[in-house]
Formats: sequence, structure tokens, C-alpha cells
Amino acid sequence: MTDATTEATYSGGSAGAAPVEDPTAFGWLNTVDHKRIGRLFIACSLLFGLAGAIADLLVRFDLTSSGGHTVLNGDSFVQVFTFTRDALVFGMLIPLFLGIAIYVVPLQVGAPNVAFGRAAALSFWGWLVSAGVLVGAYAANGGPGGGFADGVDLHLLAVAGLVISLLTGAICVAVTTLTMRAPGMYMDRTPPFAWSALVTASMLVVSLGVVLGQIVILYIEHRYGPRFLGGNYGIWSRIDWMYRTPQLFIYVVPVLGVIAEIMLAAARRWVFEPLALYFTMGLVGLFGFGAWANFGITDEGADIVDGLEGIVLVGLYAGALAGVSGLLALLGFTVWQSRTWPRPSTAVLAAFAAGQLIAVAALVGLVGAGVDWLQIAGRGVDGNAPLRFTTWVTGQQSLLIYGAGLLGALAALHWWAPKIWGRRLSELAGWASLAAIGGGAFLAWLGPTLSGAFTEQPQFVYGEPLLTTLYSGQVDDSGAEGLSALGAVGVAIVLAGLALVVLNLLISVAMGKGAPAESDPWGGLTPEWLLDSPPPLGPSETLPELTSGTPLLDPEFNGNGLNGSGVAADRDAHEVPA
Amino acid sequence: MADTTGTVEAPPPGRYNLPGPPPRPRSQLVGTGFAVAAGAMAVAGALGHYMARRHASGIDPGHEWLAGHSVPNPQLVYALITLGVSVVTAHWAVWASGRGERGHTWVGMALTLVMGFAFFNMVMFSLNRMEIEIGSGEWATLAFAVTGLSLAIVMVGMFYLGLMTLRSLGGSVGRDRSTPLGSAVFFWDFAVLAWAATWYVVYVVK
Repeated sequence: MTDATTEATYSGGSAGAAPVEDPTAFGWLNTVDHKRIGRLFIACSLLFGLAGAIADLLVRFDLTSSGGHTVLNGDSFVQVFTFTRDALVFGMLIPLFLGIAIYVVPLQVGAPNVAFGRAAALSFWGWLVSAGVLVGAYAANGGPGGGFADGVDLHLLAVAGLVISLLTGAICVAVTTLTMRAPGMYMDRTPPFAWSALVTASMLVVSLGVVLGQIVILYIEHRYGPRFLGGNYGIWSRIDWMYRTPQLFIYVVPVLGVIAEIMLAAARRWVFEPLALYFTMGLVGLFGFGAWANFGITDEGADIVDGLEGIVLVGLYAGALAGVSGLLALLGFTVWQSRTWPRPSTAVLAAFAAGQLIAVAALVGLVGAGVDWLQIAGRGVDGNAPLRFTTWVTGQQSLLIYGAGLLGALAALHWWAPKIWGRRLSELAGWASLAAIGGGAFLAWLGPTLSGAFTEQPQFVYGEPLLTTLYSGQVDDSGAEGLSALGAVGVAIVLAGLALVVLNLLISVAMGKGAPAESDPWGGLTPEWLLDSPPPLGPSETLPELTSGTPLLDPEFNGNGLNGSGVAADRDAHEVPA
Repeated sequence: MADTTGTVEAPPPGRYNLPGPPPRPRSQLVGTGFAVAAGAMAVAGALGHYMARRHASGIDPGHEWLAGHSVPNPQLVYALITLGVSVVTAHWAVWASGRGERGHTWVGMALTLVMGFAFFNMVMFSLNRMEIEIGSGEWATLAFAVTGLSLAIVMVGMFYLGLMTLRSLGGSVGRDRSTPLGSAVFFWDFAVLAWAATWYVVYVVK
């Protein structure tokens, strides 16, 4: 498949066009190959995640004293607090999984390249430049709470740039899954991770699109006045729904895809009802739509959603919980059916833990929303601060970003490292990272959650500079101090775990110390495991005729199912009609 | 298949190695659909914000909210009608392109673009006549932001139409080669709807 005619056929059309790649270092700058773009996203987002975790550590440490700020001051606290959310969500969580999706999804669906390769490259460089502008805006005393007006405007432009860039990349992934699947791979046979990427991309498009319209208004209002939205201090209350639940559930839908990939490979069989697999993932994405939620916490919307807000939130969390628990039950049943205990590895355990944490986050969110609903309805807990204004929210963020998000990413990186870099990551370092991130995320969730529930420690104060700590004189100081310290310790442990992940990648991949990987080291089921590890640069030379998303289970592939194990004989659910 | 020497056997020749992927002419249309969805949500978010502020302002909707500005209704209605007609000419161009009629395609696209420019001319005239000064009041600032967002979407639509028109001029016409133009017209349909919604909310309901 190397003659010029065939190359032209593969490179033809507006989608998937992939010119010959420059193998030199300069090629990284002008690449349109999904493998390089994916690697760039992964590497840069991990570094940005480190910056976000360090900033979060400063915020948590600052909250350990009720007597006043310990390392920050009133304005800088707000700035570092908001930077933490920007960095962890738009700097790490979304681009990290976008990078993995840009790399893996085309291989999974048998596409020669990601759709609109140039747009995918633009997505990365736009994201990187916007992230740099974001840091510059904060460095120039901008961002929400900043004292430099142009810096505040610059922050809004940077967030808009981040959103547009990430949406562009998400659209490329979604179009790849929808229109570039290999012949024979119908939508109901799509690999789980490709499906989860499609769900995430679709929901990002419809939810983050909303914030673009809001940023236009906030920018004009702040730059030209009059400051009827509160100016500098009114910005955050109108965009922080992007960093809260239920919106956070959308960002971790790819984790569900990773879990499904790994657990099904561990079980060495396909689920008995594939549509249930796709449906449950779609359910989590659908009920993660949080774009409406900002009106519940801003002046102009409070009376519009009065009473309605509580029941809608309860419904959203219940739907997300149903989706996650349904998926986990489906996967658990499949593993039980296989009568094969999965071989413990970093990827398997991290995926298992990430799944449990998403379920816990949905359950805790449901409880919190229920309590808030009762309060809104005036039936029981009058006088208490609604949980959605306390550090209860910080706990949710910790659970989903550090716990589910980072553990899911850890699982994905260990699982697909052979395919992405051609080498396995160190299992020893992987186990250590797993323990640190899992344990740290638990503490980072426990401290603020208990503090929010029992001391009503506010998460953030809207509309005014913070002259003292958030909770000075408002709450049970001593209890909040200790629980804040617990959260700070948790973030410090997570930071150590994340640093270990980066170190593992440097040593195993960049320095070449990791064991070279064969094409299918894990017994994976999906089409990417048919290719070399790693596949060569440039468009794939051949496209398989895939009859399912799990060709390595198909009897017609090697006559006896996966690696000759014979398990495929049980699998009637995705048999291809003659 | 590049390499199947791992734990699985090589596929039989001809069974899994196809001569190439089938053409995917719909990718651009689907991608445009996603962009339209994002743009629609952006406009919805901005209009929602506008309406929420209007609701929260507590004043009786009408001239008080406009702070003395008067809306030149005829001109803005003519601008909307111009855009409506441009939708017809745009679809005429796509229809002609699908039948391989290059002359009709190019005339249709040229008319569409001319009407797009005419729309801008009329809207700018209307806004100048209203003497809206940005920052002079809440309504002025909100109207400037929401109108600007919709106009930006129309501008993107014109740019997209222009690019795909050039592609048609380069020979991309015919039943199987009209999807790029159709995608641009799809976005144009959305841009017209976005402006119509903005016009109704900001300049009719006010």
C-alpha cells in the first residue's frame, strides 16, 4: 500500500488529509499527524497540571489558619484560587484526555488520521498560546480579583481562547468517530473509548458554547462599563459553573471509556449488551450538562430558578449516578461472566478506583443537592448555608479532578503507553503514583467536604475583596482549620503522585528506560492493538475491514478468538450479520 | 495492517487490507454541524444573559430600558429580509452545484455574498442612527455585546461562504463534490437564524 495512487486516495478529501510528516524536530511544529498532536497535548497538559496542583496547594495551605492569610493576601487569594480551576480543568483535565483521544481514536476506528488534521494542530497551538496568555494575565495582576484592568480583560480573552481551541479539537475527534470509521464498524460496534470521546465532545460543544456568549458580555461590560455585573468581582460567579459539578461529570466521561476498555480486556470478552454500555456513558454525559447552573448563583437568575434549581440538580445527579453505576455493574457482570480474575496492574487498579470515585462523586452530589433542595423548599435546614456555596464544592472538585480524572488518566497512560510511545511505563512507579493520587484525592475530598457540611466554611466569597480569610469569624474556626489542613495534606500527596507520573514518563519514555512493547502487550481487544507499537508517523497505510470494535475477539480474525483462547465462541452479541 | 507479528496471526491477504478508505464527503458537513451547535449555544448563552439582566433590572420593559434610544425598525426589518433572500440564493447555488451547473452556482453565490454585504451596510447604518454609545448604559452595553456576537457569526459565515465559493470556482461542483459548499450554506442558514433571534430579542422585544 505504498504506491502513489493509494497515497493520493488516503490523503484525498477535506477530512483526514495528512501530508508526509517531517521526521525531524521541526516536524513537531508543523505536524498535522494525530500521533504527534496527541503526544504534544499529553505532555503539555501534564506540566500544566503540575502548575495547577501547586497553586491549589497554596490555596489550601492559606486556608489552614482562621486568623488571616498565611501565604497569600486578599486579592492574590482570589487570583490563585481562580487560576487553580483554570489550570486544572482547561490546562490539564480536558486537554489531557483530548490528547489521548486524538492519538487513540483514529487508530481505534481505523481512520488514517484525525479528521481535519490542520484544525487539530490549530487546536493544540491555540490552546498552548491561550494557556500562556492566561498565565501572563495572572502574572500581570489580572484575572478575577486582579488589580490591573487590562489583565482582567486578558484573562477573559485567554479563557475564550482555551474554550475555542479545546472545542476545535473535540470537534475533530467527534467527526473522526462519526464519519471516518473503517468499513464494517458501525456505530453500535464502536470501541468504548471512541464512544466516550464522542459523548464528551458532543457535550462540550453544547455546554462550553454557552460560556463563549457569556464571556463576550463580561468582556464588554468590564472593559467599557458600566459595571452592572459587578466588574472584576462579578466575573467568577458567572463562569465558575464550568469548574463545578454537574459540568465536571462531562469532563470525566472519557474515564468511563478507559475503564470499559481495560475491564473488558481484563475479562477477555465483550459485554452481553453493547447498547447498554453506550447508553450508560451517554447518560453520564447528558446529565453532566451544567451550563444552566450559573443562574442559580447569580443575582439576575436567582428568582428565575427559585425552587426549580434544587429539583433539577437532584435529577442531574441522580441521572449521572444511574449512568455510572449502570456501567460499573455491566462491566462487573462481564468480568464475573468471564470467571477470570483480572491480572493486577497499574492500569487495571487505577481504572477500577477511578470508576468507584465517579460513582461516589455522583452519590455525594446527590446527597448535597437533596439537602440544598430541602433548604430551598424551606423544609428542614433553615438558617444553614447551602452546601453549593461551601467547601463541599471543593470536595467534589477534588474527587472528580484529582480522583477520577487523574486516576483515569494514569490508567489510560499506562494502558496506551505501548501504543503511544512504544514502551511500557514502570509498574513500580505506577503503583506508587496510584497510591499517592488515590490517597491524596481522598484526603483532598474528605477535608473540605466535612468542613463544608459541618462548619459551613465558604468556598469563595463573591463580589468583594477578601480582607481576611474566607471563614474568619463566620464559622467554627478550629474545626475548619483542621479540616482545611487535612485537605492541604491531600493535595500535597496528589502533587507528589502527579510529579511521579511525569517522572515515570521522562525515565521510561524520554530516556528510553521502559521495556519495549510488542503490538498487543495487554491482550487488548480494540483495533489499535492490531498495529505496531507505536504506529509509524503519517497516515495509516492500510485500513482494516473491521466487523466490530473488538476485532481481536472476532472468530474470523484468527480463527479462534483472542490470542487463541477460544473466548470468542461465547460472543454472539456483536456478531455481524451475514 | 502494518504489523501483526505480536500475539495474533497475520490476517489473510485481501480480507483486511483494502485498497483504501471510502471517500468521506460528509466529514465537513458533520464538522460544520458541531460548529453550528457550539455557535447556537453561544448565542443562546448571550441572549439568555441579556434576558436575565432585563428581568432582573426590575424596570418595565420598553423605552426606559433602552435609555432614550429609538430603534429604526424598518431598516432592521429590511436587513433581515435581505438575509432571508440570501438564504434562497445560497440554496439555489447548492442545488445548481449538485447538478453541475457552474454558471448558476457562481451567480447564486455572488448574489448571496452581495446581499451579505448589503446586510452589514444596513445594520451599521441603523446602529449609527441609534447613536448607541458603548458603556453609556446597561442596555447599550448588552445590546452592543449581543449584536456584536451575532454580527461576528454572520461575518464568519460570509468568510466560509467566500472560501467555499473559491473552491467551487476551482471546479468543486457536481453531485459528489458539493458537500463543501453545502456545509458553508448550512452555516449560513444558522448565521441568519442567529441574527433573526438576536433581532427579535434585542430590537423587537427589547
